[in-house]
Amino acid sequence: MFACSRLCYTPNHLAAMTLDLFQTVPQIEAMSAELKAERSRHQQQLQEALELLGSALDVQALKRKIETGKTTWLVAGLESGLGERFPLPPTPPDFYVVATDGSHIDIDRHRTASCYLINVGLVALRYGENAQAHLSNSPRLYSSKEEMVLSLPSSGNRGEPLRGELLGVKRGAEECRRLCDLVRQRAEPSPTLALLDGSLILWGLTGGAYPEAVVQELLETGLLACLGELQQLAERGPLGVGSYISFPGNTEVVNALRVAVCPVEPVDCDRCSREGKEKECERMAGLRDRDLFAGLLKPGERSPIFYSRSSIVRKYYGRHEVCFFYLNVDDEIARVEVPRWVVEMGQTDLTHALVYDQCRRGQGYPVVLSEAHEQAVLTGADRERFWEMVEETMVKKGMETKGSAKSDSKRTRWI
Amino acid sequence: MTGAIVEPSRVGEVVEASTASFVAQCYELHQPPPLGSLVRTRAGSIMIYGIVFNARTGSIEPGRRPIARGQEEEEEADIFKSNPQLTKLLRTDFEAVVVGYRDELLHQYLPPAPGHIHSFVHLCEKKEVEEFSGRLDFLDIILGSKILLGVDELVGASLRYASGAHADPRAFLVEAGRALASSLGGDLHRLNSLLKRLK
Repeated sequence: MFACSRLCYTPNHLAAMTLDLFQTVPQIEAMSAELKAERSRHQQQLQEALELLGSALDVQALKRKIETGKTTWLVAGLESGLGERFPLPPTPPDFYVVATDGSHIDIDRHRTASCYLINVGLVALRYGENAQAHLSNSPRLYSSKEEMVLSLPSSGNRGEPLRGELLGVKRGAEECRRLCDLVRQRAEPSPTLALLDGSLILWGLTGGAYPEAVVQELLETGLLACLGELQQLAERGPLGVGSYISFPGNTEVVNALRVAVCPVEPVDCDRCSREGKEKECERMAGLRDRDLFAGLLKPGERSPIFYSRSSIVRKYYGRHEVCFFYLNVDDEIARVEVPRWVVEMGQTDLTHALVYDQCRRGQGYPVVLSEAHEQAVLTGADRERFWEMVEETMVKKGMETKGSAKSDSKRTRWI
Repeated sequence: MTGAIVEPSRVGEVVEASTASFVAQCYELHQPPPLGSLVRTRAGSIMIYGIVFNARTGSIEPGRRPIARGQEEEEEADIFKSNPQLTKLLRTDFEAVVVGYRDELLHQYLPPAPGHIHSFVHLCEKKEVEEFSGRLDFLDIILGSKILLGVDELVGASLRYASGAHADPRAFLVEAGRALASSLGGDLHRLNSLLKRLK
């Protein structure tokens, strides 16, 4: 058997590598030259966008223009303005921060056993006089027939197979359910931040990929039910609830500026495209919200509150409508999404202060989320071991474990 | 310097075991039993004795190295207060070289089987240390062991620790010096260096 290093460094064996670096390197160089040119273009766009933010924008008029306009891109809903900066509120002396994160092993149709596993990492950190930490994970195997499909009471016995994107959504709901448990299990009702990773908006369910009944069932019995529970818990004591998005790629606030500069009212992107006019809004195309707020916010400061106008939120979220703000966490601009009631219950400041504090303690990323991830993560080796254990157990019980030929060929590579 | 016998207690749990040594994880961070102290663990009906060496504290996961966190803290303890998760992400382990076992009798040679994973590890009480070190055959096991830490360092530490369990520590060390002279034969340089460690 040859050692890997010999394969990698002996020219005669280069053909054994899947990625041909000789062909890839020039392409990387071309890409970086293009990125450099784009960056300087971005700088000009950013300057213009910041000037617009600094100017006396008529927010009420812009709100109307956004509401009445028809755009092909998603535009942020405005609460107050766009360019105000909110300083870092004080951090309470004693507080909790809880978070969950999940990982799963999807159903593998090439394996004998039809099952999936969801592993949720749970972290509760208590700061102040009685500083403590709880770190654990909770794997759960689903294998019954009922658990393999999302049953829809409205459509009789028909069910949607729970795999891929839908399993990811179920996992998200499970993470949120366990987050409720962590909040409930606090020893004292001290101020608390309950944090999730990623977006509260389940983008995977958008775009008509699934029947409406599936989307409704998953949301109402999953994420939204859990958010409802968190809202009840928030009535008993200060509780900030949010999800954290690092290095966000969203453009909703930039798009609000694009609406602002559009000379047509009501805004109608389709008409503009049909008429082939030169588009004013193109001046800001390609900019992201994080670029904008990096130029505006100082470390610790947050943007105003915006709300999502995405169709899934408008249609299903109700009192859990997703609001968001951007936060300068020193090294980057993060996006924090919160349900509407967090804002209405006056918990924005607590969320702002504790998310920033977590990033400060976690070298730029909330420490509670990195630990929850560490608890949840399933490595390639974990996955292999899991399937081995499933098969070993089946063999011990005298069951046949014939997987697919494709699966066998992946596990046993030959020449 | 003679060793002070530390209060007997359950200090940890076996996480790796072989016939000649075992590794234990401590229940409390930064609190391993002292170098050279006598600990015991079980393997079914037999009690296995070990001498502690090579205690270490580090990350629970090899890929996650601790980083400096205290630049803005006044006290070292504040680092743990500001980062409560650290106590769960770090661990203290120690190794013990197996020096004997007890079934009905006390033996100072290797046991028939290694310790069991997850067996509790106790720090031996003074009476037990006195009884065990009443014989010095265990020194030959340490002298012949293949441990990374200097064998002579461990011999010195174990004898200094055990001397604290004896009514006349000095007399015990003198006796131990004689036993070492007999074991090391003509290696006067090594003997001399070892005897210096017993002072």
